[in-house]
Amino acid sequence: MTRKKVKLAYITNDSARKATFKKRKKGLLKKVSELSTLCGIKSCAIIYSPYDSQPEVWASEHGIQHVLGLFKNMPEMEQTKKMVNQESFLKQRIAKANEQLKKQQKDNREKEMTEVMFQSLTGKSLHNLTMMDLNDLGWLIDQNLKNIYRRIGQLNKVAQKQVQGEPAAAKTEGTMVGSTSTSTTPSEMNVDTMQRQQWFMDMMNLPQENNMGFGGDEMMLPFGDNSHNALWSNAFFP
Amino acid sequence: MRKSKGRQKIEMVKMPNDSNLQVTFSKRRSGLFKKASELCTLCGAEIGIIVFSPGKKVFSFGHPCVETIIDRFLTRNPPQNSGTLQLIEAHRNASVREHNVQLTQLTNQLEAEKKRGEALNRMRKAGQAEHWWEAPIEGLGLQQLEQLKGSLEELKKNVAKQADRLLIQNSNPPQFFGAGNSNHGVIPFDTIIPYDTKNVGLSGNAMPHTYNHGYGRGFF
Repeated sequence: MTRKKVKLAYITNDSARKATFKKRKKGLLKKVSELSTLCGIKSCAIIYSPYDSQPEVWASEHGIQHVLGLFKNMPEMEQTKKMVNQESFLKQRIAKANEQLKKQQKDNREKEMTEVMFQSLTGKSLHNLTMMDLNDLGWLIDQNLKNIYRRIGQLNKVAQKQVQGEPAAAKTEGTMVGSTSTSTTPSEMNVDTMQRQQWFMDMMNLPQENNMGFGGDEMMLPFGDNSHNALWSNAFFP
Repeated sequence: MRKSKGRQKIEMVKMPNDSNLQVTFSKRRSGLFKKASELCTLCGAEIGIIVFSPGKKVFSFGHPCVETIIDRFLTRNPPQNSGTLQLIEAHRNASVREHNVQLTQLTNQLEAEKKRGEALNRMRKAGQAEHWWEAPIEGLGLQQLEQLKGSLEELKKNVAKQADRLLIQNSNPPQFFGAGNSNHGVIPFDTIIPYDTKNVGLSGNAMPHTYNHGYGRGFF
């Protein structure tokens, strides 16, 4: 079937409108029928068009009089509770679309600020950020730090248990090395980290400073070393 | 293995699983009303649909409204065409048109935001492949985590500093000493004078020798 987007407005071209009516009416009746069968429920549809003085009608088993009778016998409140016309139905759809839009915007904002965060880590200036950006960024950093603290705690627990000789709980899901061991040993981590540090130090073309030793506990990511990295903004360090 | 039966051929019998049935009813009823609404808008049809839910509640859609459609059908009367009715209908149709416009706008916006979301996802994936610190933290070793922690804590401080800076900038336009200054050359005590560390102390040349005492090494 065609996948051209149709504008949600009255079709002014007579022949196009008539053709659309025929197709869509057929599809609509099919959908009502399917709904009834799949869900084992009673339903009916009545369609009036400018093309026919008689309405086109469809109903599930027992026929339309049965369904209409059932409907009319219900208390008025029950009848109208879930009743909609074009206007109210569209309002509902608008409200729903609005909700979805806001959620998507919120998700996108978080993703966007995550990018900003990573860029800032590698030296991009914070100058262009608005107050709102800075607030969001601060929040995001906090979220990440929370997770990191928790994770560090987990890993330390595991290391502790190993030292005590107990079988360590496998909390390290999917470590980078992909090994089946329950935790990485300190020596493995050092080698891995050292290799990576060497790699991006080369990438950043930083001079091999003597004080940039490896494995120190005050070690920051090399690009975090403010006085040496030309990319880092000096705005806060006069 | 497909997650849902969408776009899969489904057998036209009553659904065996009850919760699936409920979900199906909900989704298909919604879609049905949407199609009916479109048919009314696009082709000027007048439609009434009545649907009983598995839970015996009744849902109905009607344009212009359910009751008039049912009455028209049962009494076999042609639609009444009084002037007032036509006026009411004209108003209603104008309102519907507006809603359709609004709905179209929202749908387009939503689609655009979804695309943006996908682009951002791609960026994340690319970033994760390139830099170890962008990967999910479950995959990081203890030393990497400590490093990342340190960098993030530093970044957090800088963000706070920049925020303070913006606050000051926006609330206190900088005071300059000049003709317009009514202080007659006296510097207000809370003026911030940027301090240049380079010219202080042993290497400093800004101060005459005799003034170095007390200034020099304290700041270095």
